[in-house]
Amino acid sequence: MSVKAPSSPAESRGRGGSGGRRVRHRPRGGLARLGPLPWIAPVILLILAVVVYPIVELVRTSFLNISIAGKVRGSAGTDKFKKLFEETDFGHVLLWTVLWTVVVVCVTMVLSLGLAQLFNQRFPGRRVARWALIAPWAASVLMTAIGFKWMLNQTAGVLNTLLIDLGLIDKSKDWLGEPGTAWPWMMFVAVFVSLPFTTYTLLAGLQTISQDVYEAARIDGAGPWQTYWGITLPLLRPAFLVGVVINLINVFNSFPIIWAMTQGGPGSDTATSTVFMYKLKETDIAESAAMSVVNFAMVVVLVLIFLKVSRWNEEDA
Amino acid sequence: MTGAAALAMALGLTGLTGCGSSDDEGSDGKTTLKLVAADYGDKASNASKIYWRDVVKDFQKKNPDIKVDVQVINWNEIDKQVKTMIQSGNVPDLLQTGGYADKVADDLLYKADEVTSDKTRANLIPSFAKAGEVDGTQYGIPWVSSTRVLFYNKKILKEAGVKAPPKTWDELAAAAKKIKDKKAADTPYALPLGPEETQGESMIWELGNGGGYTDSGGTYQLDSAKNVETFKWLQDNLVKPGLTYSNPATTDRKTAFADFAAGKAGMLNGHPSLIQMAKSGKVDYGVTTIPGKDGPLKSTLGVADWMMAFKDPGHQAEVKKFLDFTYANKMLKFDEMYNFMPVTQDVRKEMESSGEHKDLEPFFAELDNAKFYPLGDPAWDVISAEMKKSGGKAAQEDPKKVLGDLQKKAEDAVANK
Repeated sequence: MSVKAPSSPAESRGRGGSGGRRVRHRPRGGLARLGPLPWIAPVILLILAVVVYPIVELVRTSFLNISIAGKVRGSAGTDKFKKLFEETDFGHVLLWTVLWTVVVVCVTMVLSLGLAQLFNQRFPGRRVARWALIAPWAASVLMTAIGFKWMLNQTAGVLNTLLIDLGLIDKSKDWLGEPGTAWPWMMFVAVFVSLPFTTYTLLAGLQTISQDVYEAARIDGAGPWQTYWGITLPLLRPAFLVGVVINLINVFNSFPIIWAMTQGGPGSDTATSTVFMYKLKETDIAESAAMSVVNFAMVVVLVLIFLKVSRWNEEDA
Repeated sequence: MTGAAALAMALGLTGLTGCGSSDDEGSDGKTTLKLVAADYGDKASNASKIYWRDVVKDFQKKNPDIKVDVQVINWNEIDKQVKTMIQSGNVPDLLQTGGYADKVADDLLYKADEVTSDKTRANLIPSFAKAGEVDGTQYGIPWVSSTRVLFYNKKILKEAGVKAPPKTWDELAAAAKKIKDKKAADTPYALPLGPEETQGESMIWELGNGGGYTDSGGTYQLDSAKNVETFKWLQDNLVKPGLTYSNPATTDRKTAFADFAAGKAGMLNGHPSLIQMAKSGKVDYGVTTIPGKDGPLKSTLGVADWMMAFKDPGHQAEVKKFLDFTYANKMLKFDEMYNFMPVTQDVRKEMESSGEHKDLEPFFAELDNAKFYPLGDPAWDVISAEMKKSGGKAAQEDPKKVLGDLQKKAEDAVANK
């Protein structure tokens, strides 16, 4: 994946020289007057139906008073937001959402840089290794999470059995039962499932770097680290940014891993804001919608940052 | 991740979409009743839809002009789906599920006497009929019931040198300690305070200390001194000494039941469905009244599930026919199918005298004095859901703070009901 736009057809036509004059001015009428609209209309309708409409409903719901039975009892004003912000766990949940996102994205990016470098080398069996890397990506995230949940299980889990047999612990531990050990394990799983995509993004980036540049560096006598810091990393920037931003959004919204492994419990001790939103649904759907609106706002901020960063990148190139 | 899923997730919309279905009014002069029911089965061969198919078939033999559409939904989904039905104004005629009072608050239900005959109502066991009342008017019609008793694994207790099953908290803790010392079981006492049924296990323990969820006037007192003391005791005597799960707040009842059925747990509070599980696990079990602080519980926790009729579709007469038919003819079959306890007097008599239900005798003995959740309070459903979320933490963190938080939420819920 690359953020570089392909050179536009107009440009290449211009370079070809003769393209411009051949354009015929047909009389525009009927469908043609609408230009590209008939072609993009289905997409626009789809976006209206599956993106815009739910957002409108979401925001509307967050200002409603809905009974637990599901009946709308009129407007609630901003009460639901107030209730949300006054939740005892709210601050804690936000803090962990940030930690979760930052830690998982950082670790993923660093490991992926190394992995991409490795997979960019020629070695026997590279093709097989590259295919193998796809496995965690191809498997359903929910399935992976459930797999890890059982591996970590206190009574039946393979990890406890292994550690006890090795004599590292003397009593099986409930890894997912307490936040102190549950968070690191869930982060591990999140990194595990994010690695393939990120590594491939970076690998694609690495492959766009011309060998000439490296050759020139070698001739100038640059060492391996100097080459990496001075050439590889800067030229990898577009791919790296894409990786960071897509991971930020994915990890921030990550639901299945946490839900499958701890359901955010005990209480909301291992919940991110997305999981917290889901838990609120059980007691107050409007408050849950308010949490969604807050989440949505945070995602919008992330996307804006992405837009800004990618434009800056364009100018730079 | 596919683009569409990524998009949906990026927008934070997970799970907030609903779907509607059309209401079909019979065009051939027949009335169609829509019944939504929970699935009590745990495998294909005992799915509740098999039961309902049979009920409808027999009902239609007598009432050919009433059609009944049955939709059976599993327990994890039924609350959500019913909420969606109510929100989209598409309610069924009849609903059989776990709670009713929240729907009374929104004035959605028929009163029990509008949709059942006097005979049907007179047949209900009075304590259950009473539990179906909101402010003195019955809306909820009891469907099945169960009571809780203490299950113990005879082999484990014997191995640990425990002579008689415990009658008090201290005896229970002492027995658990012996089981631990002799390594007779992984989990001496299984304490499931996870989201599945925190509200059940908590109430059982609180009843043992003369506490509970409400005072005699029905005002919530979740953080009463007695309740705080109960959790303090659990912490100091079971959780901290390692006589139960290390994290009760994340351990669900189904885990505890499975552990007991696998012979890995010494004692636990259970309801009748554990009988079948223990038998198929070849566990030699015994049951006794649940220990309280100073002696066995005088009244244990009783749980009931409910049948209710929605006003909106307006098929009062047909609903009445269906309910009278079902309550007169089909209750025993359901209770036997799932080893539940009856809510009607004729079935109770039959089950107690037939000799085929010896297993259930200890549960019958507890039936008359059973205490219920504050089921008739429309705020209860919110409070119960809040308890499931965080109540279990009271056994690991400061109980005063955890229960105090819940009390605040309960007061909010009462103010908003």
